[in-house]
Amino acid sequence: MPELSRRRFIQAASLAPLAAALPKGFIAQALAAPATQSFVFFDPHQAAVVREATARLIPGPQDDPLEAGHPGAREANVVRYIDVLLGAFSFKPPRIHAGGPYSNRNGEDEDYMANFVPLVPLQEASWRKRLAALQKEYAAGIKALDAAAGGDFTTASTSKQDSALAGAGDFLTILFTHAIEGFLSAPEYGGNAGGVGWKEISFHGDTQPRGWTPSEVTNSDGLNPVVPDVIVAGVMEHMNEAALGIVARRRGGR
Amino acid sequence: MAGKAVVVGSGAGGSTSAMVLAEAGWDVVILEKGANYFRNLTSPTPKTLFSNDELKSSIRFFEDPDTDAEPRTYRRSASDADPLAVGNVNHLPSTVGGGTVHWDAKTPRLWDIDFKKLSMLGPVANADVRDWPFAYEDIAPFYDEIEDLIGVQGDVTKLPALTLKHAPRRARYGGRGFAMPPGPPQYSSLIAAQGATLMGLHPYPTPMAINSEPHGGRPACNDCGFCSHYGCPIHARVGALAPLRRALLAGAELRPNTFAYKVEHTGGRATGVSYVDAFGARHTESADVVVLAGSTIESIRLALLSQIPDPHQQIGRYLFFHWFTAGFAVFLRERMHAYRGRSTTHDVDDFADPDFPGAKVFAAANRLPYIRGGVLELGGTQDPISEALVYQSTILPLISPRQPFGRAFKQLMRASLLRDRFFGLEMIGEDLAQATNRVDLDPKVRDARGFPVARVTYSPHAHEIAAQRFYIPLITAMLKASGADATAAVPETSSPSFPVPLSEVPGGAHIMGGMRMGHDPKISVTNEHGRLHALDNVMVSDGSVFVTSGAHNPTLTIMATALRNVRALAGSASAAGAKKPRVLGQKQTRQEQLPATGVGERTAEGVAMIASAAGLAATLKRGRTKRIDP
Repeated sequence: MPELSRRRFIQAASLAPLAAALPKGFIAQALAAPATQSFVFFDPHQAAVVREATARLIPGPQDDPLEAGHPGAREANVVRYIDVLLGAFSFKPPRIHAGGPYSNRNGEDEDYMANFVPLVPLQEASWRKRLAALQKEYAAGIKALDAAAGGDFTTASTSKQDSALAGAGDFLTILFTHAIEGFLSAPEYGGNAGGVGWKEISFHGDTQPRGWTPSEVTNSDGLNPVVPDVIVAGVMEHMNEAALGIVARRRGGR
Repeated sequence: MAGKAVVVGSGAGGSTSAMVLAEAGWDVVILEKGANYFRNLTSPTPKTLFSNDELKSSIRFFEDPDTDAEPRTYRRSASDADPLAVGNVNHLPSTVGGGTVHWDAKTPRLWDIDFKKLSMLGPVANADVRDWPFAYEDIAPFYDEIEDLIGVQGDVTKLPALTLKHAPRRARYGGRGFAMPPGPPQYSSLIAAQGATLMGLHPYPTPMAINSEPHGGRPACNDCGFCSHYGCPIHARVGALAPLRRALLAGAELRPNTFAYKVEHTGGRATGVSYVDAFGARHTESADVVVLAGSTIESIRLALLSQIPDPHQQIGRYLFFHWFTAGFAVFLRERMHAYRGRSTTHDVDDFADPDFPGAKVFAAANRLPYIRGGVLELGGTQDPISEALVYQSTILPLISPRQPFGRAFKQLMRASLLRDRFFGLEMIGEDLAQATNRVDLDPKVRDARGFPVARVTYSPHAHEIAAQRFYIPLITAMLKASGADATAAVPETSSPSFPVPLSEVPGGAHIMGGMRMGHDPKISVTNEHGRLHALDNVMVSDGSVFVTSGAHNPTLTIMATALRNVRALAGSASAAGAKKPRVLGQKQTRQEQLPATGVGERTAEGVAMIASAAGLAATLKRGRTKRIDP
C-alpha cells in the first residue's frame, strides 16, 4: 500500500468501531513497514538528504565497509522517524507520545504503544511551536548541507558529505540528536525499524509485560571482555568528563 | 467549620490529604495541573498509558512539565542580575499522581537527628538549623501507616545497626518489619555492595514501595528495568495512587488539567481557589479548607501568586535541594546489565552519620561543627538514548574532534562503557537551611498561561561543599574496591568550589522547604500542623513544610507528615460538626467520567479512538452513561 493511502487508512481507522474491527497488530505492522518514498513533511529531495546525512552520522554496512553486519541510521529508517516528528500533527492524535502499557514485542498480542496519546491543549500549543521552529531549522539546514557539498548533498562524495556535516554547526547537533532518537527509540515512532538499533547495541528494548527473571536480574551473564581499542581507551581516559556529561544530562538536558 | 476542601495537587502529599479528608466525610475537590494518564483510578491497577518508552518519558515531556510552556528561572544569588537559566529547574512530574508516577519508590525514613537537628547537633554558622515541631517517635506511627498503605518490601533484620539506632522500627510482619521481603537483588547493586563491604561499610537491601510478591490487589514486580523516571505499566510499584484511590472511593473529585493560580482569602481565612481549566477558562471553587500540595516550588509559587500575608518575609525561604554526588564505575570484563531490575536495590547509610570516622576532624578543619553526606544508592545506569547523547555531546568531541560522528559512535554504543559495562551510585547529601536559598516570582518570565514563573535562587552552604570534598575520595575508593577498571565521582551541581561548567542548575528532584513548619511565625510559614500562620484554614501538604532536608529520599516523609497534619485537621473539623464519614465505595467517583488525559469533551473523539484501540471502550461507555444518569 503506498504510504499516503496507508496513512489515510490509519486515520480513518481512528474511528473507534473500525479500529476495533481491524486484525490485531495491523496498525503496528503498518507503522513498522519499511521505508517508502512518501513523507508527511519532507519533499523527496529533503528526505534523501536527511537519509544520506544520518547515514554518515550513524553508518551501516552500505555506508562504511567496516560496519558490515552492523545496521545504521539507513537500515533503522531514521529519516522516517524525523519525518514523523516534524509532521507529527499530520496524524490524529499527533505522534508525539506513544501509548501504553505495552507493545506486542514481549508476549502481548496487541501493540498498545502504537495508539498515540492525545495531547492536552497546553502540550499541543507547545509542540506546535517547537515543531514549527524545527521545521524551519531543517529546511535551512538541508539547504546549507547541499550548498556545502557543492550543490547536491546526496550525490557528493562521502568525504565531502562528512566535511559538510562537520561544518554544519547547530544543525549537526539537531540532526545527530534526532538520528540517535530515531535509531534507539521504540519502533512506534517511525525509526528503529524492526528493532535493529536495539539489536545493534545488545539491548532488549521495552520488556513489559515479560520483564526479567530473578536469575537474569541477580546473576552475571558471564565473562564478556570488551576488545580494548582506541575507543575504549578514549572513554577510560575521559571518565571525569563523561561523568560530568552524564550528570549534566540528568539534571535536565533537553 | 463546614466540610469542603480543595486540594491543589494529586501527588504524594495531596493524595494523602485528600484520602484523609474524604474518608472523614469532607467534600473534596482535587485540582491537578497535569494530564491524567490513568483510567479507572478506583482500581488498584488502573489502565495506564505509561510504558517502557525512553523517548516519551525522558525527552518528550510526557509526564514532566513542558519546559517551554512552564519554565522556571535559576540564579545562584541575588547578585546575579539575570537568570543563569530559564527552563527546567529541578522539575517534577506534572500529572495525576505527581512525582510518584515515575519515582523508583525508595522509602527510607528520616532519622531522629533530622527532626531534632538543632537540639541534637547544635547550630551551624551562616545556616539556620532548626528543630521540626515533632520528633521521630511522634512521626513513627505515621511512617508505619504509610508503609502499610503503599506496601513496602524490605527486611529489618538486614538494616544496619546505625540505621535502626537513628530510625528505630517496630518488629511487625513476623519480625521482618516490612509487608514483603526484598525482591531479587540487582547484579550491579551486588557488585557495588561488595566494594562497600570491603571498605567496611554496611550495604543493605533498600526498603521500597515495590511489590516483591502480589500485594494490595497489585502484581509482583517483574524487574522490567524501566523504573526510575518511568511510569510502572503493571502497578507493581505504587505511590500517590494508593491514597488517591481511597480518596476517590470516598467521593473525592479529581479535576486534571486545572491550574490553580490563586487562593482566595479575606480577613485571615481562605475562601476558595481560583483556577484555569484546560481551555483557559477561569473558575473559582469555594472551600472551607485549602490544601497546597503542588510540590515545593509550585506550592510556594501559588502562595506568592495569592499574595498571602507574609509580614516576616518567610514564604519561599530555606529552600532545600539535596546535594547530590554521583559516582560511576566501568567494567571491561563483563556486562553489568543494570538495565534489569528496580533502578537500584541496595543502599549504604554510613555516610549519613555525622560521627563517621574522620568526619568530625574534617569538619573542624573546615570550621564546621559536623559534616554529613547522605544515603548512597548503589547500582543504577542510564538508558540507551541518554548514553548515546553523552557520547555525542561529551566523548566524541574529545576523542574524534574533527569528525565527531560516524563509526566511532557505533563502536562506543557497541562497547557500551557508559551503560551496560557500567553502574553508578548517588549520594543524597544533606542540604542546610539558608534564608537566601529561596523561591520567588520571576519579575519577567511568564508561563504559557500568562502567570509569573518561579525563580529559584540557590547556592550551597560551606557544609555541603565540605561534606562533598570529604566523601568524593571515599566514593571513588569504594568503586575501585568493587573491581572497576575506571571510575569517576563528581558533584552533580557546580559551585564556586567545584566550578563545573556543565551543571549549573541544581538537579536531583528532591526539593523541600520554603514554607517550613514551626511555632514562631517570625521564622516559619506554617504552624506545628502544617497550617499557614497567616491563613489558619490553609494547610501545606508537600515537601515545602520540611524544616531540615534530611539525608534520605523525602517522599515517605512527605506522605507521613501530610497524614499526621491533615488527620489533626480532619479530626478537629469533624468534631466541629463535619458530615458523617462515608463508607468506602458508597459514592460513585466523578473521576471515572473523565476521558483519558482528562481534557473533556473537545478531545472526546480522539479519546474514543485511544480508548477503543486500547480495549477501553467499555469503560468509557460506562463513564458516559454515568454522566447522563448520575
